[in-house]
Amino acid sequence: MDIATLSGQVFGYIPLGDIVLYFTPFNLFLFGGALLFTLLIALSNTETQVEARFGSLEDREVKVDIGEFKIRRFLAIVCGLATAGAMITGDLFNFTLFAALIGIVNLGLVAAVKMVDVLDSAFQYGIIAMISSLPLFGGAAIVLATTGTLSILELANSTVTPMVTFGSMLLLMGIAGETGVAPFYATKAEMFRTPGSPFLVIIHLSSLLVIVRAIEILLIINKPF
Amino acid sequence: MTGAEVLVPNVVSPLVVSIYKPAIVVGLLTGFIALLGIAFKKGDLTALILTDLVGLAMLVIVAAVATDLAEALVLPGLVVELAEILAIGEILMSREMRKTEKPVGLIPLPLSLDMEILDTAPAFLAIILVVHGCFLTGFTGGAVAGVGILFYVLSKTIRGVPTHIWEGIAGISGMAWVLWLVGFLLFFVAPQYWLLGLFLSACGIMVKVASKVGLIGVMGREEFKREK
Repeated sequence: MDIATLSGQVFGYIPLGDIVLYFTPFNLFLFGGALLFTLLIALSNTETQVEARFGSLEDREVKVDIGEFKIRRFLAIVCGLATAGAMITGDLFNFTLFAALIGIVNLGLVAAVKMVDVLDSAFQYGIIAMISSLPLFGGAAIVLATTGTLSILELANSTVTPMVTFGSMLLLMGIAGETGVAPFYATKAEMFRTPGSPFLVIIHLSSLLVIVRAIEILLIINKPF
Repeated sequence: MTGAEVLVPNVVSPLVVSIYKPAIVVGLLTGFIALLGIAFKKGDLTALILTDLVGLAMLVIVAAVATDLAEALVLPGLVVELAEILAIGEILMSREMRKTEKPVGLIPLPLSLDMEILDTAPAFLAIILVVHGCFLTGFTGGAVAGVGILFYVLSKTIRGVPTHIWEGIAGISGMAWVLWLVGFLLFFVAPQYWLLGLFLSACGIMVKVASKVGLIGVMGREEFKREK
């Protein structure tokens, strides 16, 4: 399927050597959305969880201290920028690198929490994310070896061989593991059970956006219709 | 591989082309063996180390492309791999600290080291190693200088050294990244200053490797604790 049918009319190109950025309404919308959300997060404060105590009238507040808050805000902004980069990039390998960066930053976001359960599930998610870097980069490398290019604009015109399909399937597996969707989401859902909400939401948003963009790229490469 | 004949130039020998598919199979098999190892794992640290093996299998598949572009892709792949293993190692350490509820020493040791050399020689040996590493530069120099720093911190730990020295080393490591990146950028932006770029990158990677080697000692904490 060509780019114009799938994501709308191509507005223009920025040729940076062999890395060519291209702009479509689809791309720009996702890019703008990611940037807007990053801005909102950069301006916001963390939540405070309030737990009622049994047998007394006092409440217990779970707060995030200032040092942890600063680190989390920084990592959340990096995560948002990496998501925006993954939305706008026109290079397959850059896309996988942005996805891997999102995975690392997601780990960093929960690395400083004080709950052992959350750290445990973050460790499991990290192992999955690291294992899935094999299909992620391996798939991109197989696509490169078969078609001779990584530029999505060029890949839109290339012929589909079984090897390209194999590489794309590996890539899809890698994206699924790296963003922690369907088969691997159990550990990632556990990671949210900690205070500091608006920063943790970016973990969700980044994986959603990356999945949408990955499906677009895979449709462009494989041309199933 | 069908269709490869179009892409591969004639100067490349058919042997190199025919080796591509075996390389992919070897990479996937290595990954599979590592996954089996993770399935039969004994502890969390074992899982972490075996996951690194999966990362190496990824590098095999990327390197199988065997063009200069593949070389350019191996480097970010390796960096991502390192960053992930450091992040997971950090989480592991943070979890163990929460579990034990007490601060862990700078470098945990399985046995008490009260050797004469740790009291009398650390500064001298460390300086020799670091200076020698500075002359070597690059990866090798980084490893040599790292051993020097590690030895110094190790011997200081016996006598008690404040942890902020260690955090300072981590800070220097971050600045080394900047040096490295600036050197790399210089290659592309102003190729006529390639020598300066080369030296910036070499010094950057040396400081980087030096501080990394030191950090490896900290990651062994969990294993040491089990033996006690």
